[in-house]
Amino acid sequence: MKNYLNTLTLALALGTALGLSACNDALNLNPLDQISDAALWEDPALINAYLNDIYLGMRHGLYEVQLGSLVDETHFIHGYGTNEVVQSITSASAAGVWSNGRTNTPIDAYRWGPVYSRIRQVNILLQNIDDSGIEDEDLRNNVKGEAHFLRAYFYHNLLRAYGGVPIITEVYALDDDLLVGRNTFEETVDFIVAEAQTAADLLPMQPRNLGRATEGAALALKARVLLYAASDLYSENPANELVGYPGGDRTARWRAAKNAALDVMNMGLYQLYNRQGDPVENYTQLFLENGDHEEIIMSRFFLEERGDGYNPGLHNGPNGYRNWAGNTPIQQLVDDYEMADGTEFDWGNPEHAADPYENRDPRFYASILYDGAYFRPRPPEGAEIEPQGIIQTFEEVTLPDGSKRPGLDTRDGPIEDWNGGYSGYYLRKFIDPSINHSTSEKQIVPWRFFRYAEVLLNYAEASIGLGEEGDAREAINQIRRRAGMPDINDTGQALLERYRNERRIELVFEEHRYWDVRRWKIGSEVYEDAQGIQILAEATNYQDRSTYSNYQYDPIFIQDRGWQDRAYFVPIPNDEIQRNSNLVQNPDY
Amino acid sequence: MRTLRTPLDVRPVLLAVFFRTPLKALFPSLLLVLGLWATGLQDVHAQDHTVTGTVISADDGAPLPGVNIVVKGTVTGTSTDLEGQYRLDAPSAGDTLVFSFVGYQVQEAPIDGRAVINVSMQLADVGIGEIVVVGYGTQRRETLTGSVSAVSGDKLEKAPSINLANTLSGRLPGIVTINTSGEPGYDGATIRIRGNNTLGDNSPLIVIDGVPDRSGGLDRLNPRDIESVSILKDASAAIYGSRAANGVILITTKRGRIGKPRFTLDFNQGVNQPTRIPEMADAATYVTMLNELNEYRGLPPAYSEEEIDNYRNSTDPWLYPNTDWFDETLKPYSMQTRASASVSGGTDAVKYYISFGGLTEDGYYRNSATRYDQYDFRSNIDGRITEALTLSFDVSGRLEDRNFPTQSAGATFRMLMRGKPHLPAYWPNGLPGPDIENGQNPVVTGTDVTGYDQDDRYYFQSNLKLAIDVPSIEGLSFTGNVAIDQFARDRKFWNTPWLLYSWDYETYDAEGNPVLNGASRGPTEPELRQWSETGRDILTNFVGNFQRDMSNFSYSALLGVEYQKETFSGFTAYRRNFVSDQIDQLFAGGRDLQDLSGSATAGSRLNFFSRLNFDYQSKYLLEFVGRYDGSYIFPKGERFGFFPAVSAGWRLTQENWFRNAVGFIDELKLRVSWGQTGNDRIDPYQFLGTYAFGGGNVFDNTNVPSLFQTRIPNPNITWEVANQFDVGIEAAFLNNRVFLEVDYFNNLRTDILHFRNASVPQTSGLSLPRENIGEVASTGFDGSVTYSHNTGSKFQFEATLNLGYADNEIKYWDEPPGAPEWQRSTGAPMNTGLFYQAIGVFSDQAEVDSYPHWEGARPGDLIFEDVNGDGVINADDRVRINKTDQPKWNGGINLSASYGAFDLSMLFQGAAGAVQYIQTQSGDFGNYFKEYADQRWTPENPDAEGPRAFQREEEYWIANRNTYFLRNTNYLRLKSLEVGFNLPVRLTERFGLEHLRVYMGGFNLLTWDKFKLMDPEARNESGSYYPQKRVFNLGITTAF
Repeated sequence: MKNYLNTLTLALALGTALGLSACNDALNLNPLDQISDAALWEDPALINAYLNDIYLGMRHGLYEVQLGSLVDETHFIHGYGTNEVVQSITSASAAGVWSNGRTNTPIDAYRWGPVYSRIRQVNILLQNIDDSGIEDEDLRNNVKGEAHFLRAYFYHNLLRAYGGVPIITEVYALDDDLLVGRNTFEETVDFIVAEAQTAADLLPMQPRNLGRATEGAALALKARVLLYAASDLYSENPANELVGYPGGDRTARWRAAKNAALDVMNMGLYQLYNRQGDPVENYTQLFLENGDHEEIIMSRFFLEERGDGYNPGLHNGPNGYRNWAGNTPIQQLVDDYEMADGTEFDWGNPEHAADPYENRDPRFYASILYDGAYFRPRPPEGAEIEPQGIIQTFEEVTLPDGSKRPGLDTRDGPIEDWNGGYSGYYLRKFIDPSINHSTSEKQIVPWRFFRYAEVLLNYAEASIGLGEEGDAREAINQIRRRAGMPDINDTGQALLERYRNERRIELVFEEHRYWDVRRWKIGSEVYEDAQGIQILAEATNYQDRSTYSNYQYDPIFIQDRGWQDRAYFVPIPNDEIQRNSNLVQNPDY
Repeated sequence: MRTLRTPLDVRPVLLAVFFRTPLKALFPSLLLVLGLWATGLQDVHAQDHTVTGTVISADDGAPLPGVNIVVKGTVTGTSTDLEGQYRLDAPSAGDTLVFSFVGYQVQEAPIDGRAVINVSMQLADVGIGEIVVVGYGTQRRETLTGSVSAVSGDKLEKAPSINLANTLSGRLPGIVTINTSGEPGYDGATIRIRGNNTLGDNSPLIVIDGVPDRSGGLDRLNPRDIESVSILKDASAAIYGSRAANGVILITTKRGRIGKPRFTLDFNQGVNQPTRIPEMADAATYVTMLNELNEYRGLPPAYSEEEIDNYRNSTDPWLYPNTDWFDETLKPYSMQTRASASVSGGTDAVKYYISFGGLTEDGYYRNSATRYDQYDFRSNIDGRITEALTLSFDVSGRLEDRNFPTQSAGATFRMLMRGKPHLPAYWPNGLPGPDIENGQNPVVTGTDVTGYDQDDRYYFQSNLKLAIDVPSIEGLSFTGNVAIDQFARDRKFWNTPWLLYSWDYETYDAEGNPVLNGASRGPTEPELRQWSETGRDILTNFVGNFQRDMSNFSYSALLGVEYQKETFSGFTAYRRNFVSDQIDQLFAGGRDLQDLSGSATAGSRLNFFSRLNFDYQSKYLLEFVGRYDGSYIFPKGERFGFFPAVSAGWRLTQENWFRNAVGFIDELKLRVSWGQTGNDRIDPYQFLGTYAFGGGNVFDNTNVPSLFQTRIPNPNITWEVANQFDVGIEAAFLNNRVFLEVDYFNNLRTDILHFRNASVPQTSGLSLPRENIGEVASTGFDGSVTYSHNTGSKFQFEATLNLGYADNEIKYWDEPPGAPEWQRSTGAPMNTGLFYQAIGVFSDQAEVDSYPHWEGARPGDLIFEDVNGDGVINADDRVRINKTDQPKWNGGINLSASYGAFDLSMLFQGAAGAVQYIQTQSGDFGNYFKEYADQRWTPENPDAEGPRAFQREEEYWIANRNTYFLRNTNYLRLKSLEVGFNLPVRLTERFGLEHLRVYMGGFNLLTWDKFKLMDPEARNESGSYYPQKRVFNLGITTAF
């Protein structure tokens, strides 16, 4: 009996000891869901996956808050820190929508922290690529070219927002000296231009690569940055080399910008999209066609199965369609659309004032939903009220019995009134009317980073800077002809104004205007109180739009706006200044 | 569109049937079978000497039924009957009988040839005499040198909470509980031992029957299965080494005792309701505030005075509703039911405790889809194979069945908080009204009309233990233990469209009734997502124990080794575009846009531990504890750590000189401990440079994978170390009627694993790993005093007050070097925040002009203090508030009394020193607190206490955190109350019952606080959460 117990004890002890020796190795586990550093750089497929992630840092322009709501394009009705920006009362510690922690905005494409994380991703790739598992030199060059393009793109966003920034090309370790100061504006421009050129040299000459960077994209980026460098804001800022050129030859900068644009034009790969007969339809489809076409240089694509969080119809559409009316066009933008004959719209002209949506630039109809415009069939509860699918932003319509009814797509309407816009206009550009946006269905229309029209406009602007007005007019008129608008013949200051308006209209909502008004140094002119439209009408049948008459239009105030010169640049976040004593804040913050 | 619950789910029906009778018979019959089986196990021995007698309570002279009587050193035993009488055949007339009964001191009586032995049992002393469960063993309270709080399971039963964690509130000194939600299935409390001690994870280690960190935790254990809960608060927890730094909660379940089978049945029925529902503004006030918003924006008013009056007077329920959203959505009360049954008993050879439990709990919503059902069983069997060999086999199983609507409680309560009082929840004809957005009308989203979210979790936990008393060496024993736990989870999320009705406020039909338009909301077509997860946890250990008792001196040594391995894997599948909502199975969904994903993790730990105890005359006590612990979380060189602790005790009352000097003190012990424990609760593998899969990207119209670097590796990452010092005193006086215990602690947590992101510039682009960089000191005290009055009379009374204070200070961590002095967090408690100081409201423009203000400030805005006096209000004016949502003071008063057949138990619980930020999502998209509306500034009321109506986050004083919205949450509440009545024995015996008790009580019955807006334990800043529960309960329990 006792022996048996002793044996059992011994067996238990031995078993434990044996078990433990096996266990000791069992503490050497590896994560089951991650890939090691060494494995990644040996495997071309994994390197590609790594590169794929970096592209996401370019983001896109169709988040819930659009950049247009920070300038005189749209009014974002839900706040989210946009009011502080249009009132120019942001500071380094309270930067409104530019502050950390705001989601659903395009701002992460420009925000200090996220962009530098992306730049580090590129730096890691460039550090490892030469000794990697990609043995084919062409393939390797492709990856490198894309990486250089991405690095140039990220820095160009930083440049636009902050001016000169620390140029970081190495992969820092924790114990490195991390207190890096800012490079000058000029150094930053030169760096981006060189990066873009390196990318262009490495990348294949092909018009487009369905989402990836190409030589054309790199050259278009270079042209954009050189145009920025030649602009007023930086050329007239000699006091602070972090945010402008202290001197130098501005004409040479215009020349470089023009040549860079010309390089893209001379590739012969791109031309303006002109596939639809009707100019309204043509400009609409330019943005809605999925896939790429002759005008597109680079895009960001989406797939329905991925549910990318891309739903501009829901975010911006009318509340009468159960959409959220987020970014709503303001009256000042509507007024800047020319008449179809090329003359300016004028509230002082009784004919214009009586029927403001008649005979306008075709792009107006393709970009903006206004009262009386056909959009799409309403969802059931709206269709019962308004069966024709026509936008109603009138304040009230008076019926024969004297009763008055509010427009369905206003804040007085019966459907989600609090989600109604103030301005009387809704976004049309990029919105696919074949989709009921109020459901979880998402549209998969791509976002365009670079298209040929911008290159032509960049070329025109540089030409004006050089006084080569004929070239400018020719480029502008190409765009106007495609848009269904008559040619211009202006010269001098008038040409410059005309050009700026053309760029405003053609590139509207495409994340250009916010930067353009800064580099043109016209903040104080455009940051004025935002206006909308007040519309009254009479009708014999509320549901039949053809019976409406006696419209009365009056521009009204909708949002407080203002300007301070410090808003030409975004403040470097207060936290970052506290971390790094070598960082100099932007002027007047 | 409306779908009923899936026809395959029969459990609700079963449960309903069970609680409505026929199957109720199953329980007794099941118990009968078990009882018969158990009875059959009783040994039959040759009898030599017969003893009879009566056992009474020394207290009141009443006979005690169910007292265990064993012949010492044998397997022979019996127990007293209902009259307290027994009859026992002992092997010889020279044997000794051992009498034991719960709550009474064990008594031995030598037979000495007597035929009748009557015994009077003494009540056990309060506190000092008890056996306390400590790591890998038990100790007598009197010789304990560590700081351990313990509570017995029968106390926890008194709180009618569905969740065990909530029953610990206020029970034990030094324990902080915060119950942040009452949602069935997620209504637990976060438990902290001596407050927060680290910047990372502060949750204590939970050890259930010797197995650390068992899946499912303690929340869902059946309180009636709990023998005791011990909390190791100081370095004595070092026996659990690397996971002990936040304290250890040891839970021991009941086991069988020698005696005849004892059956218990308990059934209780409760109703629950929210402790507090926020009061929101009414329709007239709300639309008035909307008008004010327009006025501040320079826009014309949206509502005329006439319309506002119509809302105020509710002239027309169609046109001018005045909706109380909470009232429309929530029932006045919901039902909860709990039933349990157990049988326990045994012989010297086999002891058993077997129990079954079931409970069901309904949600607050009217027609609630939220419901929690649970079924559990436990079987703890001890078998004495030979004199020296004991085998224990424990098995427990549990099914947790959580049912929810497809919209989360957070979403539904968010819409309740936002609920606009001028919109109808239901139209007067009974159809559901419109949503604020996303179809989320809360009266609908709390029901099963939107589909269902069913989450079933299965736990199977087993423990096999072999204990050997080595016969050749006296005092040497070994135990080997294998615990295998298996966990599985099946979740099914079936999301279907639902209908809401809107009206254009214009169209009427021929009879003059408004024409409503119904529209489908939610997903366009039904969609289904399913998850399947499994986990396994295997623990093996081997422990040697050696104990020697000499006349003056005794010592014991424990040495053990333990290995634990856990694995987890799971996958999920999704399809949408179901052709119909009639079949909620994956195959019936469309193949387009289907989605699949999966994941897996694994972990392992290995450790060696030891405890040495020395005891001189039970006067001087000394204990060493050490654990050498290895974890897969850290790199090879840093993997193992050694965690030692030493503690000592001095029982002054064992000194003659002391006893002579201070006679009224029955017991006085001083003890002190110091030691180190570790914390490894961080993401594993931070020493490796790894890449994880991101969300992918789209090139060439195809989905391509994407990879990103998780973080830069930290090759030196290792344990967080808790240096724990504790000094305590335990005393009993006034004939052991008063028991006092007080501890002071001083902990220094070093090598805290935290990020250096406050000082590393973002330009580096680094995603940082955790580093061993933080240092936090915590100090405080906790203690309890118990008064017990139970001599002689029918009246018994016991009162315990416990109180704990814990505060902490960051000694070192990463801070931005350029931050102003007054904002530095080093030197402040952890997790504090920076707030602008709201010092009032600008009553008019003159006041705005006269004080530095935020750009764009206007009358009615909050005044932020210009703290640094530079004439500008900016981030530098924020100050650090040294309070967090973690209370510094916690305590409870526990009263229990009995008089004859009646008994009463009451627990008051309170917490102080915490603050909560609370700010509603208000403006045109949501309602305001009534209190806020009442106090607001308007041009007509310029001297108002509160700021003007605000729109979402548009005002600077909404977007920037400030002290106006920071509220004191000190509270005292009647946490639980139970009154019981025991049927007189002469009645119960007529039914053949040992006893029958009827009881009623409640949980969270009364609350005193100044928070007022919501429950003071609310931890959701916008109030969008499922509120805490108040329970009224009625129950019956019987034993036979």
